[in-house]
Amino acid sequence: MRNGICVAALLLAPATCLAQSQAAATAALQQVCGACHAVETVTSERRTRAEWQESINSMVARGAKGSDEQLALILDYLTTQYGPAPPAGASPAAPPPAGRGRGAAYSPGPADRQVIDEAAALRGRKVYAAECITCHGTQARGSDNGPDLVRSEIVLHDRYGSTIGPFLKKGHPTQTTPVAQLTEAQIVDLSHTIHQEVYNTLRAALQIQNVLTGDPKAGSAYFNGAGKCSTCHSATGDLAHIASRMDPPGLQQAFLFPGGRGGGRGGGRGGGGASAHPVTVTVTPASGAPIAGTLVHIDDFSVALRDGTGEYRSFQRTSGLKVVKHDPAEAHHELLDTYTDKNIHDIVAYLETLK
Amino acid sequence: MKLPGALLLASSALLAQGGLNPAKLLAPPTDTWPTYNGDYSGRRYSTLTKINQSNINSLSLAWVYRANGAPGGAGTTGGRISATPVEVNGILYFTMPDHAWAVDARTGREVWHFQWTPHGGEHIGNRGAGVYGNWLYFLTPDCNMVSLNLKDGKERWHKSICDLDQYYFGSMAPLVVGNHIITGVSGDDLDRPGYIESHDPETGALQWRWYTVPQKMGDPGSETWPSVEAMKHGGGMTWLTPTYDPELNMIYVPTGNPQPVIAGKSRAGANLFTASVVALNPDTGKMQWYFQSSPHDTHDWDATQTPVLIDGEINGQKRKLVAQASRNGYFFVLDRATGKNISSSEFVKINWSKGVDAKGEPILNPAKEPQLDGALVSPNQGGATNWPPPTYDPDTGLFYVSASRAFSVYYIYDPSDKPEGWGGNDRGGWAESMIQAIDYKTGKVKWTHKWEDGGRSGLLSTAGKLLFAGDGSGNLVALDPANGNPLWHANLGGSVTNGPITYELDGTQYLVVAAGDTLFGFAMLR
Repeated sequence: MRNGICVAALLLAPATCLAQSQAAATAALQQVCGACHAVETVTSERRTRAEWQESINSMVARGAKGSDEQLALILDYLTTQYGPAPPAGASPAAPPPAGRGRGAAYSPGPADRQVIDEAAALRGRKVYAAECITCHGTQARGSDNGPDLVRSEIVLHDRYGSTIGPFLKKGHPTQTTPVAQLTEAQIVDLSHTIHQEVYNTLRAALQIQNVLTGDPKAGSAYFNGAGKCSTCHSATGDLAHIASRMDPPGLQQAFLFPGGRGGGRGGGRGGGGASAHPVTVTVTPASGAPIAGTLVHIDDFSVALRDGTGEYRSFQRTSGLKVVKHDPAEAHHELLDTYTDKNIHDIVAYLETLK
Repeated sequence: MKLPGALLLASSALLAQGGLNPAKLLAPPTDTWPTYNGDYSGRRYSTLTKINQSNINSLSLAWVYRANGAPGGAGTTGGRISATPVEVNGILYFTMPDHAWAVDARTGREVWHFQWTPHGGEHIGNRGAGVYGNWLYFLTPDCNMVSLNLKDGKERWHKSICDLDQYYFGSMAPLVVGNHIITGVSGDDLDRPGYIESHDPETGALQWRWYTVPQKMGDPGSETWPSVEAMKHGGGMTWLTPTYDPELNMIYVPTGNPQPVIAGKSRAGANLFTASVVALNPDTGKMQWYFQSSPHDTHDWDATQTPVLIDGEINGQKRKLVAQASRNGYFFVLDRATGKNISSSEFVKINWSKGVDAKGEPILNPAKEPQLDGALVSPNQGGATNWPPPTYDPDTGLFYVSASRAFSVYYIYDPSDKPEGWGGNDRGGWAESMIQAIDYKTGKVKWTHKWEDGGRSGLLSTAGKLLFAGDGSGNLVALDPANGNPLWHANLGGSVTNGPITYELDGTQYLVVAAGDTLFGFAMLR
């Protein structure tokens, strides 16, 4: 709960709480992310806020556990500490940007892997277009006339032209232009271009292309008919202008997996009330009145809730104790077994009309 | 039991030296837990009964060891112990990426700690150490096998086992069979071929290497690839410690996903021998048979779940079996001498398969391959289960596995004809977690224990009529293996991150389990 207090305070007076929130954030990062993988696998990356949010959602879907406060702390921390890298203007051989810390030694590939100089890669692209593209293809993935450079061990062993340079100078098997004419600087530029193509095949390089392939009319029919979406939602009520607040991939994910939360957790939890539609629970002791509230914690042995007055209550789960959980997103979870992919694409197309 | 000659020789030579008596590897684990799975069978079943159903509520916390600060040495962030410790002569040996520890198995006090200086590599986890005689072997994220002296943790030598520049890394717990130290490779960032290899225990020299993908057209399995180019970059990493049948002299190797992982357009075909269970001769590395769990996998399901050896009965006939609860949601039972399929059944509800073919291999519904606009698939990329080790209890005849019923949407990001690396991925999700108890004779789920709030841990069963598991709320739980009823629990403050082990020393039975960077030792002290 200390974390929660700090988050609230952060909104009012960021400076006073910064050090504390950092400590809380690293603790949350350790507890939530470190439960399954080394934290360094996270902090060796640099991403935008939206990309970090997506990573967090995806991890929650894979079973990461944290309260809403913890996840918010982690998002803020990663965005401020591990946001997009500043544009590289340094010399090509410069070490990874400060703030990346010791990350490179803890993430996939060699610690001394080439750091792309964007300007050099852009210059190298001209060299590539003139000298290499015909045989090795636009993305350096090869063609009938030349091998795949992204998969080339010469390239993977290269740092700033260290193996590409000697290879080209020694006599490139099918060269049409004497490559010895390339200057040292051009070879370095070229190495940035080719390494960039390698990095473009890594996990975080690409995004969802286009999910707007459905029929909005069929989507509307499903929304109001078989899907029973209109039981709880309305195009003119809670979903009015939804498409102006979310992009199509976001819409698709939002109705399939509401709240971006997985692991059977449904709506928000953990300390109560961050979500508009939290999971609730009613606990009835063997003798006594039922006690209802927002679910804080449940396992096989105990259940905890925050009641209407904000009081925290916890109970040992004995055989006499009746526990009834209510997840407002239950209907969404049940639909996962009945949707066809066409239904899904149609719904996205329909929601996209709600600008 | 018929033993390979080399093993007997090694056994007599090493007995005199202290260290691990190799005979321990061939017996049920009692005072020793000498290898990743406790014994070669992978069943993670203990014959010990001092901790049992009738006294489980007297189980006490005996000690706690916090492996503070790793990976990264003196950092403020801890790590995760996903290693199953080995226990030899009263000392526990376990690892995290770049680190190995020796801890007193009775008291939890540190005996030594070894730290490797890393040169990169994925630090996602390390499954543990292998022990041969007086030596420990473990793999580092930067592609080295390190041999340490059991006595003091001093490095004897290190050998490169893979090329870090190709984004391989080391994470599996080496398997020791006779005079072979068997190591696998991890990594699915770039499109590289997987392999498993064997090393000399004294020098680390390579004895053999077996690639999980064919190396030239015409080789067995090459007919399942469109080109040499696709095949030689076809993935199939060997993330997990194999199991071993000394009588048949076969190791059972589960292999990883093909590459490019999600966007499989440029690798039309079944992509052998990725996402398979493969039997190899440990002396030569020659393949004996294979069974493909996920032909043409495009969901990163691989098949790197423990192939568990069961000496059982099918239709009244005694059979040597191997069973795998695979990440794709299927439970396979095979004849482990021939690889012939006996049964294939779904251990959770899934939505991607059109059934199984005559060989018992699943038939992928093409509509559930990753799509540009997304395909809703169950299980998700995390799988119906994952690497955490299952257990088989011969007393109940049930195979127990940490299972998930999970959904996500699989997308193609790169629609070109030659996507490479990660030209797609899955996103989002909803899941529920449970323990499934599967009758190996029928493939049917006998009971399910759903966790309230997630949970995926390694499992251990014992002759004390106990099944140990971790839930998603930080509890270590003992369940009744007959029906899944929880009998006992302890809140460790973090989810169980490895497979629990048990051993008996000086008449006291211990139970050791990791949660996050901390190892907990429980004991029946009465």
